[in-house]
Amino acid sequence: MTKQRNFSQNISCEEAIQRIFPYIDDYLQGTSREELEHHLETCRHCFDRVEFEKLLKSRLRKLNIQQKTNLLQKKIEAIIDKF
Amino acid sequence: MTKEEQQEFKTLVLPHLEELHRTAYHLCHVRCNAEDLVMETVTKACEKFRNLREKTKIKHWLLRILSNTFISSYRSQKGLTMVEYTETTHDDGGGFSLFAELSQPFLLWWGNPERELVNKLMDEEIQKAIGELPQEFRLAIVLCDVEGLSYDEIATMTDVPIGTVRSRIARGRSLLQKKLYHYAQDLGLIHAGRKIHDKAKEFQSEH
Ligand SMILES: [Zn+2]
Repeated sequence: MTKQRNFSQNISCEEAIQRIFPYIDDYLQGTSREELEHHLETCRHCFDRVEFEKLLKSRLRKLNIQQKTNLLQKKIEAIIDKF
Repeated sequence: MTKEEQQEFKTLVLPHLEELHRTAYHLCHVRCNAEDLVMETVTKACEKFRNLREKTKIKHWLLRILSNTFISSYRSQKGLTMVEYTETTHDDGGGFSLFAELSQPFLLWWGNPERELVNKLMDEEIQKAIGELPQEFRLAIVLCDVEGLSYDEIATMTDVPIGTVRSRIARGRSLLQKKLYHYAQDLGLIHAGRKIHDKAKEFQSEH
């Protein structure tokens, strides 16, 4: 972990961690994003954390539901036909 | 609606039915409620269909109706595993991080216990944890992580400022990770790793 701030654009691990979620969600832009990316190049710990958060996010994206939508579709069509 | 409108509506809505059902399922967690939520959403959409101007945005329009229906009418219904919370008083995970708990930077040979855990967790376990989140957090997590929407889209869809979306996602993820951690402990998925992890922490603090 890097705690020192030698350059003006260096951010601490705590500041980096605050930005990780908006970063992986592609919301972080501009200087904030550049500062974080710079930090990630030099800090293995925060880099690994970003990779982990990305993994967890992609795991949620892959969640499946076992239920079939066929029956629901029939019900939905019946609702629409009544309007 | 005229026969033509009914047909147009079906053509527009049915391709998104699976996604609506999926979103509703993760929001409600119980299947019959999810179907009710989708049916209520479609009923409202039928009523409002003539007001819809941009038909290319029908998916977001439907998700918006679904989100609002979830928040407003499902909030107070009995039989749903939902508890009233306010933004400030309930448990928001307190910044809990699975990575911070489990990663073992000093024990490279041990592999990646935090990544292994994510791969070991079953869909049902993750769904259960999502289902237990306070509803505002659950809605944010489902729209962002499960459905892959942007902060802007979620803000519009749920009628809250983007800063609120950001904080709900952060707090929702933190709480979700805390719940997953406790499941993993109960399932014995992280027991062995913890002992070594604790030793590593001791080592870290001593040196
Ligand atoms: Zn760092």
